[in-house]
Amino acid sequence: MKYYLLPFKFTRLGDHEILVNEVGDLLYVPIGTAEQIVNRTIEDQELYKTLVANFFISETRIPALLDVYAERLAEKKRFLDDYTALHIFVLTLRCNQLCVYCQASSQDECVSHATMSMESMRLAVQHMFKSRSKYLTMEFQGGEPSLEPALIRYGIELAEQINETEKRHLTYVLCTNSINLTDEVLGICTQYNVLISTSLDGPSFLHNTNRGKQDSYERVVKGIAKAREVLGADRVSALMTASELSLNYPTEIVDEYHKLGFTSIFLRALNPYGKATDNADWEAYTDRFIEFYKQAFEHIIELNKQGHVMIEEYAAIILRKLLTPWCTGFVDLQSPAGIVNSVLIYNYDGYMYASDESRMLAEEHDYTFQIGKLSEPYENLVYSHKVKEWAKVWNNETIAGCSDCALQAYCGADPVRNHTTQNDLYGFRPTSLFCKKNKAIIEYIISCVVDRNEELMPIFRNWIR
Amino acid sequence: MKQRPLDINSNDNTLFTTEQCNNHCIMCCQPPRKIDDIDYYYQQNIKRVMLAPKDLPHIALTGGEPTLMGDKLFSLIRLIREQLPNTDIHILSNGRKFADPEYAKQLKLAGEGKVMVGVPLHSDYEKDHDIIAGSKGAYNETILGLYNLAIQGIAIELRIVMNKLNYMRFPQMASFIHKNLSFVNWTAFMGMERVGFADSKSEHIWIEPIEYIDYLCKAVQLLDDFRHEVVIFNIPLCLLPTKYHAFAERSISDWKNKYTDCCEQCRLKEQCCGFFATSTQLYTGIKPFN
Repeated sequence: MKYYLLPFKFTRLGDHEILVNEVGDLLYVPIGTAEQIVNRTIEDQELYKTLVANFFISETRIPALLDVYAERLAEKKRFLDDYTALHIFVLTLRCNQLCVYCQASSQDECVSHATMSMESMRLAVQHMFKSRSKYLTMEFQGGEPSLEPALIRYGIELAEQINETEKRHLTYVLCTNSINLTDEVLGICTQYNVLISTSLDGPSFLHNTNRGKQDSYERVVKGIAKAREVLGADRVSALMTASELSLNYPTEIVDEYHKLGFTSIFLRALNPYGKATDNADWEAYTDRFIEFYKQAFEHIIELNKQGHVMIEEYAAIILRKLLTPWCTGFVDLQSPAGIVNSVLIYNYDGYMYASDESRMLAEEHDYTFQIGKLSEPYENLVYSHKVKEWAKVWNNETIAGCSDCALQAYCGADPVRNHTTQNDLYGFRPTSLFCKKNKAIIEYIISCVVDRNEELMPIFRNWIR
Repeated sequence: MKQRPLDINSNDNTLFTTEQCNNHCIMCCQPPRKIDDIDYYYQQNIKRVMLAPKDLPHIALTGGEPTLMGDKLFSLIRLIREQLPNTDIHILSNGRKFADPEYAKQLKLAGEGKVMVGVPLHSDYEKDHDIIAGSKGAYNETILGLYNLAIQGIAIELRIVMNKLNYMRFPQMASFIHKNLSFVNWTAFMGMERVGFADSKSEHIWIEPIEYIDYLCKAVQLLDDFRHEVVIFNIPLCLLPTKYHAFAERSISDWKNKYTDCCEQCRLKEQCCGFFATSTQLYTGIKPFN
């Protein structure tokens, strides 16, 4: 048998092997198949044809349809053409909650030194339009950004004004705990079609414990109801973060989202920044989170089987990567990494940062991912020496432990996380908890697709629309 | 070959362009001939277009292989655009000629958004496709042609003629289409007309639908799961599981469509494609829904 190997990766999964080519097409095959392919002893003729048709091997040294393969790869990396689309404006560290896991080192509501100046906002909005992306998302974060309505209004109005000539597709998102959704704030949201992204950890006892306040749950639920009434139900979404305590309540959390009428949930692990770093034994947390994820996921599947709409967003992202030929925009699982390429942060302190996590690190006096002053020209910031250094380690195709990983096409690189947890931008995969968590969950979702296809595909097809 | 008059009430108005083809498909219902007939049909078709009813909803260019007309294809299309500005133009082609990006671009310019190209794909595996197409190199040119048509934004109907040599890979083909040809507007799985090669070489080519229905349903399901348009042509409803009836179309041209005696008792007759009057034998397993 004469043929040429094209780049593909493989790993054992349960009692099978998975083979994954450069564009993320996956084949689920008997153990020993990769060896047969390499040794030119493929027995199954239909498998042989599938391998040729799907660019795992080629009957000619250069595949005749190389251009088709190139186009497939280009599509998977299309987010690079889009350039930086997500622009996060950290308006203030002031906050009206005291969350146990706060990753952003929020300050009391009364402090005055932790809020963005109007001048910084002006510079930030101008930088945002330097990105050539046709789609720009302006996301307001904190602290609690709704405490700064004047700043929000100024930022949006400036963007609208510049956009009269720029003509980009603008989206506004307000990340808020929904406690302070005053008429003034909702007025801005109505006028400029701002989406509300709120956070809700689960049932009352859990949410209130996490938030360090007695009545937080009640106020958030009220805030959500008010926002839905004013803006429309589809303009309000919620996110959860799994504290250590949350890990005991996977089904209760999912049920709470369902009860409140949400049709999707993002099962999000805690990240090692801010107050969260003091909270946990990360190794144990990661193991428990993986179990938590699976339990919550199965409960979500049950809800779907009962005819309810409930999407697990993380799984939906992985499924799109696994099952479709299209590019999936999700900054946390990207190669090249999301930092700078897909997201930029304009911080209240007047500096540009590489990611949301980067500005969280700065609160601990680690300025590694501070790109520079907002008063600097855009080119000096985004094309700085610092950013070029990160570019050497932000592709999982080229870093050890990722370059030969079968799941590479579905995962991403995260130099910020590597630096934070391993004090090394390059990172060491065998002890990386980012790697451990993603591998476990991606493998779980793959096994759902291949082992439980008939049971789960009718549900998954609705998740990946 | 005598052409039928263009008829506003027919679902099958065609301009026959040539009997020549650069493929030699083993199941061809209209086996190609090497005769110099392009000018003959071209002149004939010009007259046919000039005399055609002005509000003809659609017109098909068929053969043989219409792209063998070269640039005459574009002048014919321009004439149709001029004379019948509201008529949709459907070209049935093996797509090979469009491996030349310039040719695809010319089609786009001539067609002005009214052209759709129907292209048969016989397998996801090059050598199987080439065996069925009866021509080495056909597959690679066809796939590149599909990409070039897509780049020009020309609508594409992918046609899979179901036969004994390709039915076992229907699910793999569906997956291949989903991943590599996701831009096609729809995929049609087509039951064979039992005439021409399909009949004369039937032991190599012919397969009864009941033998491939499971493969077909898997393929249709996969494409539908990923929200690709998919249709089943020429398979009577009584051979399909109920779940898949929604994908079946009344696809057989009116002038060669027929039903059998047992169809008279069937309550789904009006929704069913029936049979080719031209086929030499009926499918096995036909039974009425009462």
